[in-house]
Amino acid sequence: MIKTKNLKYRYKNSEDIVFPDINLSQGEQTLIIGKSGCGKTTLLHLLAALLKNQSGKISLINNDIEKFFGAKLDKFRGENIGIVFQTPYFIDSLNVEDNLLLVQKLSNCKKDKERILKVLEDVNLSSKLKSRVFELSHGEKQRVTIARALVNYPKLILADEPTSSLDDESCNNVINLLKKSAKKENATLVIVTHDNRLKDVFSNIIKL
Amino acid sequence: MSLLKLSWKNIITKPLSSGLSILLLSSGIIIILITLLTFKQIEEKFKSNSSNIDLVIGAKGSRLQLVLCNIFHVDQPTGNILYARTKSISKHPFVKMAIPLSLGDSYNSYRIVGTSNEYIDSLYKGNISKGRHWKQPMEVVIGSSINKKLGLNINDEFIGNHGIGESIHSHDEFKYKVVGILKQNNTVLDNLILTSLESVWIVHGGDSHSKKGSFELLSQSEIDSINKEQAHHEHNHEHHHHSEKDNTYENILQKIDVKDREITSLLVKYSSPRGKFTVPAMANNSEGIMAAEPSIEIQQLIELLLPAISVMKSMALLVMIIAALSMFIAMFSSLKDRKYEIALLRVSGASSKQVFTTIIFEGMLISVIGYLFGLVLSHLGMEIFSGYLSENYHYDFTGWIWLDTSWYLLFGALLIGIISAIYPAIVAYKTDISETLSKK
Repeated sequence: MIKTKNLKYRYKNSEDIVFPDINLSQGEQTLIIGKSGCGKTTLLHLLAALLKNQSGKISLINNDIEKFFGAKLDKFRGENIGIVFQTPYFIDSLNVEDNLLLVQKLSNCKKDKERILKVLEDVNLSSKLKSRVFELSHGEKQRVTIARALVNYPKLILADEPTSSLDDESCNNVINLLKKSAKKENATLVIVTHDNRLKDVFSNIIKL
Repeated sequence: MSLLKLSWKNIITKPLSSGLSILLLSSGIIIILITLLTFKQIEEKFKSNSSNIDLVIGAKGSRLQLVLCNIFHVDQPTGNILYARTKSISKHPFVKMAIPLSLGDSYNSYRIVGTSNEYIDSLYKGNISKGRHWKQPMEVVIGSSINKKLGLNINDEFIGNHGIGESIHSHDEFKYKVVGILKQNNTVLDNLILTSLESVWIVHGGDSHSKKGSFELLSQSEIDSINKEQAHHEHNHEHHHHSEKDNTYENILQKIDVKDREITSLLVKYSSPRGKFTVPAMANNSEGIMAAEPSIEIQQLIELLLPAISVMKSMALLVMIIAALSMFIAMFSSLKDRKYEIALLRVSGASSKQVFTTIIFEGMLISVIGYLFGLVLSHLGMEIFSGYLSENYHYDFTGWIWLDTSWYLLFGALLIGIISAIYPAIVAYKTDISETLSKK
């Protein structure tokens, strides 16, 4: 499902970051853990094809991602990868439902309001369907981003520090939600974090 | 949830900055459209009302005044001329139509025009909608606007005021009677009270001063003599008044010598373009008479108005530039806050082209909204303003006409929208998603 080989990345005026090879099969759940500044986000962005690969190989869903570029790459990402960021960003001018509808639209998926209601139910926020995004609490926002990552039936869910700003209880909720949802959709789940609280919940851990 | 809808939502989420841009843009559109609407209608009225008239012949004075007064009925007469003296012009072989006009009286500031039936039928192609043409002196046909605005109807009688506009004195011994109402035809006819030349002669029959030309500047001695005459005349008038019932209009008319009968002007249409070379000279060589070509006078008048129009156009342009600037600033400054939204769009599958398009759409939407506001408000404003204009000038203006310039303005507005959005859109296009998302 995900295969990386000899992955390296170098920012301007700094050293090479060398990543271990990763090999995950469909439905697997993995934690990538490391200290701040060790290149966790870089790895996640490489996997999401948000950063252009400099050396080595990345294959996603049996596709060499070098094949894709420009608009095709954007569509591939939109269709197959759901991403949860540490900071829950939204289109502030839209309500919750429209934010999710937009995600469906942008990845050329069919408009499916039932699916939207379904994923919101999964994160326990179906009552906030028509709420404006700024009316939500931080925890609610984080849950909506999970719903958003799920809405297109992604094959891969990538999460960047999804719990670092949450208290223990919320942390547990969010991580359980991610695991449960990924399992339900049979999506591969990759979480990068420095949050040691998560170590106990994952059997498959990659250290950077 | 289309990109267009996203642009729309982005606009309505920032009502203040979007509103300012829309307001500025529509102000520019309003300034330019109201100017053009007014000018176009003035120009059109001028051209349509004078299209059949090659020459105006009247008392010596200002040529422009002669044209304005006798064709458009907006200025004072230059004076009167003897009808008999114009006969040679009417009979000239190059003259196809020569219509006499006799002005001087009004009713509720609407002009009473003594003329021939040709004025209605041939010159302005007016049709009677109710009643009939005049057959006898003191019968009048009124324009449609007068029927609407003054509520005058068939068989109504009224007394004319001497002078145009403000009443100098009224001819209360003679009553006009409405016998016909014209269909609206968007010419000067709509706002005129038309009657035979004879009616005017009858009303002014005893007025000795009218022979001098009621609108000429008089020296003090002349005024004194007129006052004396008038006193004398008023004395006579008393007698006249008593015996009025015995006098038919024909009798009064007979008392006015044919040689003394006056008109204010003669509207001439040539039968041949060669008329241009002989008829004006012929008129200008007659004593106290002058000829004016409407096309030349109108052209001069329009040229007089053009600088005013360019001033308005430059003002509109300035406002539009400010609008473009305001749009640019609003979009550019909001771009900082929307960096993450743009990254998010990209992460969700939007291509950089789609992000670019969204921002351009936003600029175009604002400009189209501004344009539509401006379009509706200027036409609405013109319609409201037209009531004021027609009250003052007795010309019917309207807001409900379409200007082809409006298409250019739409194009211009869209261009402003695109130009002010293009730089923010390029910045959005080039946004590095990974870098944006790494900054926490």
